[in-house]
Amino acid sequence: MVKPIPKVGSRRNGRSSARKSARRIPKGVIHVQASFNNTIITVTDVRGRVISWSSAGTCGFKGTRRGTPFAAQTAAENAIRAVVDRGMQRAKVMIKGPGIGRDAALRAIRRSGILLSFVRDVTPMPHNGCRPPKKRRV
Amino acid sequence: MPHLLLHYHVPITTVHLRCSFPSPKPTAHIHLRSNPTTGATVKCMANPRRVKMVSKQIRRELSDMLLTDKVLQYAILPEAALGADRYLSSLTTISDVEVSADLQVVKVYVSVFGDERGKEIALAGLKSKAKYVRSELGKRMKLRLTPEIRFIEDESLERGSRVIAILDKIKAEKKTLADEDYEEEAESSVSAQDDRDWESDDPDEDIIYVK
Repeated sequence: MVKPIPKVGSRRNGRSSARKSARRIPKGVIHVQASFNNTIITVTDVRGRVISWSSAGTCGFKGTRRGTPFAAQTAAENAIRAVVDRGMQRAKVMIKGPGIGRDAALRAIRRSGILLSFVRDVTPMPHNGCRPPKKRRV
Repeated sequence: MPHLLLHYHVPITTVHLRCSFPSPKPTAHIHLRSNPTTGATVKCMANPRRVKMVSKQIRRELSDMLLTDKVLQYAILPEAALGADRYLSSLTTISDVEVSADLQVVKVYVSVFGDERGKEIALAGLKSKAKYVRSELGKRMKLRLTPEIRFIEDESLERGSRVIAILDKIKAEKKTLADEDYEEEAESSVSAQDDRDWESDDPDEDIIYVK
């Protein structure tokens, strides 16, 4: 995994780790991966553990319609609906990728009533590492 | 079908034109017509499928440039030059690219997320770097003539968002009104029942069924 999460002894605290829901999460991070053909929205807590996710494809759009801004907006609304019930009020937004879903999803998040604390762009940028795929001839 | 028109001061001949880049129909016929009234204008219309491919490729290249090119990033977000690029104040996205049929003019629709000032700065920065973008595009893409690039602000996303926000507000208001009406109705019906059956001991009297 990316971050070492300290293990909590389940027996010592008397809490079973199988308890999934009823965790109130006031702050979270919303990851938006916007490619040209699709938009994936993942909501995690501040440490990075995924709470819920949604994408344009899972919202019923297929093919070229997944890349449209309306699809990104529906995906964002779907993902946030599941979290607003958990009591999330503030969220950071991490945006990855060049697609049109960046803008549309951001607007949908702002409309939903969640307070946006920060917007960051985390598109992976190599410091000249792997060789990129060959140029498309058009 | 490739459709080519050429007005020229030469008697009718047919010429084979071979395009310098691979395309599905490499050869095309040009009919040269003598036309003394118009000037020596040369118009070359490309295959509409090719126009779409070129526009998609330009979109990819421009989006990549916006993400990676330092010069452009400093133009749209001046605080990136100071190093404050972790927390963005505005986000610029290329929403659409329209290429004219002769591949000479490209209209790039840019959507900016942020406040009014950020929008102005981003668009002004992009427009000032139009020539630089054109030269960069020429280096990245192999086209016979690199098109002229025009940046246009795209307000459609924002307008759509506003409309949806208004619709949501109306829906929420209607819902609260409907809830209030429903509660009022439930209360009045229960009190009417009480008045009628005040002697009989109805065990279900106090239960209000609410959906």
